[in-house]
Parts: sequence; C-alpha cells; structure tokens
Amino acid sequence: MIVFENVSLAFGNHQVLDGLSFEARFYEKIAILGGSGEGKTTILKLILGLLQPDSGRIIIDGKDITKLSERQLRETRMNFSIVFQEGALFDSMTVRENVAFCLREYYDLREEEIEQRVRELLRRVGMEYAIDMMPEELSGGMQRRVAIARSLAACEPKMILYDEPTTGLDPISADNICGLINDLSSGEPPNRRGLIVVTHKITDAVKVAERFMYLRSGKISFDGNIEELKNTDDAELRRFINEILLVGT
Amino acid sequence: MHLKNLVSQLQDFYLLSVRAPMGILRRPFYFREILEQMDYAGVGSLFIVVLVSLFIGMALSLQISAELSSLGLKMYTGKIVGVAIIREIGPVAIALSFAGRIGSGMASELGSMVLGHQVDILRVFGVDPIKKLVTPRVISATIMLPVLTIIGDAVSLFGGYYISVFVSHQSGSFYWSQIKDIMDFKNIFSGIAKPFIFGYIIACISCYMGLSTHGGSRGLRKATTISVVLSTIMIIVTDFVMTRILFFALGMKV
Repeated sequence: MIVFENVSLAFGNHQVLDGLSFEARFYEKIAILGGSGEGKTTILKLILGLLQPDSGRIIIDGKDITKLSERQLRETRMNFSIVFQEGALFDSMTVRENVAFCLREYYDLREEEIEQRVRELLRRVGMEYAIDMMPEELSGGMQRRVAIARSLAACEPKMILYDEPTTGLDPISADNICGLINDLSSGEPPNRRGLIVVTHKITDAVKVAERFMYLRSGKISFDGNIEELKNTDDAELRRFINEILLVGT
Repeated sequence: MHLKNLVSQLQDFYLLSVRAPMGILRRPFYFREILEQMDYAGVGSLFIVVLVSLFIGMALSLQISAELSSLGLKMYTGKIVGVAIIREIGPVAIALSFAGRIGSGMASELGSMVLGHQVDILRVFGVDPIKKLVTPRVISATIMLPVLTIIGDAVSLFGGYYISVFVSHQSGSFYWSQIKDIMDFKNIFSGIAKPFIFGYIIACISCYMGLSTHGGSRGLRKATTISVVLSTIMIIVTDFVMTRILFFALGMKV
C-alpha cells in the first residue's frame, strides 16, 4: 500500500506539490495525468525515496519512508522498479551489460546463468537481437524496451513505475510499449503486478490504466475510473482528455 | 536562504570527500571501474602531460639562463630549473592540466548521468552512487596524478637540458650533476606529496559538481565550468598551504 499524506514539495520558489494526498494498492493500474511541470515525475521519485518532501508523510508497506536512511530505503525500493523517460540506460554499457547490471550487483551468479537470464528478459521484450548493441544505436522505443527488461532483472517488483513511457515515440512504437506494459501487469487483482504511469498522453493512459488521477496546482483534482473521467464536469480536465472524448474510446 | 544552501552544500561535499576514499574498504569492490578510470586518467593524459611539461621545462630554462647569464651565473641554470620544476612548477602545472582534462570530464560525465536519470536508477537498484562512481575516480586520480607528475618532471628536466646545452651552450654533464645534487629527500618528497593531495581535491570537487548538476544542458555547462575553476583555485591555494607546511615539517628555511 502506498499512502501520501499532505505531501508538499517546492523547488526554489516553485511549489510543485501542495498538500498532495492519495492512497494506492500495489496491484492497481494507475495513470497520473497532468500538464508539463505539474510534478508527475516528482511523485514517482517521492515513492522511491529519491526525493524528500518538505512536509507530509509517505507511507509504503506501513513504513514512513521520509524517516528512513538511504540503506533502509533499499528494502522499500525492492517493491518497485522504474522505467524513466528515454530509458535511462547506462550509456557506457551494451544492452547485455545494462540488463545484467542488477544480476551482477544482487546475486552471485555464474556468467552462463547471467547470460541465460539476460537473453530470457530481452526475448520477453522482443529485443534479444540487440544484445550486443550500445544504447546510442537504439531508437527511443527500443531503449525503453531494454529499460523495461532491465527493470525486471533485479527482482520481481510488486509495482512498476513508468515515467512518460511513450513520449516522443511514433504511434506504432507507442502502441507496442503499451502492449508490453499490459503484458507485464496482466492478471486479476490482487494477484498481479501493479503500475503507475505518469503521462500527458491520454490515449496511451487509457490503454494501460484503470484508475486515473489528474494533477493540478500540486494536488489531485480528479481521481476515478475511465467512465468517471469521461463524464467529468471539470472544464480543464475535459480539454485535457478531449482526444478520447472525440474518438469515443 | 543562500547561507543555508551554502552550509548544506559544504556538508554534502565533506561527506562525499570522506565517503569516497573509504569506499575502497567496503564490499563490493569495483576494481574494474578503478582500473578503467586509471587508464583514462593516466594513460589518456600522458600525451598532454608530456607536451605541457616539455615546453614548461624549455621556457623555464630559457628565462633562467638569460637572467643568470647577465649575472655571470649561467652554469647554475640546472639547479634552479630542477628545484623549480620538482618542488613547484611540475606538480602545479600538471595538476592544472589534469583538472582541465580529467576533472572537467568527470563533472560532465557524472552530470549527464544525473540528468539522464542514470544515477537515480543506481539508487533504485540499491547501488551506492558514491561507491560505484566517485570512489573509483577519487582513487584513480589520487594514484595517477603523482605518476604523471614524476613523468612530467622528468620530461621538463629534459626540456631544460635541451635549452641549456643547445641554446645556452652549457655543459650537459654539469647540468645533470646539478640535477643530481638537488635530488634529495626534501625536494623529492615536496614534489611527490603535493600531487596526491591535488588528485584527491580535483576528483572530489569534480565528482561533487557532477553529482549536483541540475537544470539541463545549461546546468551541465555550469557544473563543468565551476568544477574546473574551483579545482584551479584550490590547487593554487593548497599549493601555498602545503609549501608552508612542508617547509616547516622538513625544516627548510626561507
């Protein structure tokens, strides 16, 4: 369970989050929507303890992570994995080394076992053929696929966090990434891996999420399912989701 | 607010400076990364160090022999060039070149890793970024800068020899005998102790600036520039402080 209680955070004079509160379960499929600079990625970083809030509490699995040391946070972070926008692959390593990174850090495995696991993960995301390539040789969509494979290498996360996973991709690549995200979170709750995707691409959000939150002025101004989202009276939110209202998804 | 930020940054820098070298004592040991960094910082800097040292040695020899010539003391060129290079100019000039090439590289590499979320990924995977990224760089700089300084000093002395013999028409054997005379413990220790400290300072400043990068490409440019400027200032200031300490510790009189 993830609980945000009156979380506020400012960067300099810019108040990014202002008393933000919500609750989420690990098996939920959530899309956090909002314009650029509204603090969507900040929420993911707060969940992982990569940032500390100015005030408020963030409780994960019953522990207030704002009070944990970096070493204690490692245990909480094992619940999650994250795929950053652009993939955030280690650019000095090949695809193989990127995916094997966690296996080498966490486990005392033989090289053959690492190779087998890396190939298995890359096959799962359809990228086995790129095993010897460098990140700079990959397209945006390919980098994100490898990042997803890497995110699954360390452990079996309860929840995967996606930061703008389809931004900058062509419609076909974006659709493929959405399909992959759905595959990794398939099954029925509560026996499935959850996800939080932050995006401003509403058409992609509806493909992967069941619960939608809209972030405005540092607070959640909307929280509901797809039907509630489509029927919202909020004029600004209706403009934001105009694309799906027109298509009638 | 600015004062609070400054104190907080100094505290972070202090913690990084202490934790980075200590990282070598705790598992996991990143020997491969240390060797890679030593190769990049040491072998990769050899050409620039040789080039800079050669011309410094020649220019210094020219200046000193010209000045001593007017006093009729031209034969002492080797002694003065040797002392100046081994104790002072060699360590400082090579450290400044090192800060420009390796320090800026460290700051920009770590800065781009921060901006590309690669450092965040390390933390999410439970890897300590200081141990993984900073420790190998600090260790490699602390070891390789003294090595480069020894090589640079030798090349500078050869540059001085060339000018003394072929331009200033002095005796080559007398030049080397004077160099041999000044090769005592005090001079050698003064020349070798400084680069250890300079290497540590350059790596700590550059890694700290790299890891504190924010604000996109403009922030990266700023972090890289500050790392070089700060390293340069700290090398000059530390050189003076260390000279004073070494004079006192080694019983050298002014």
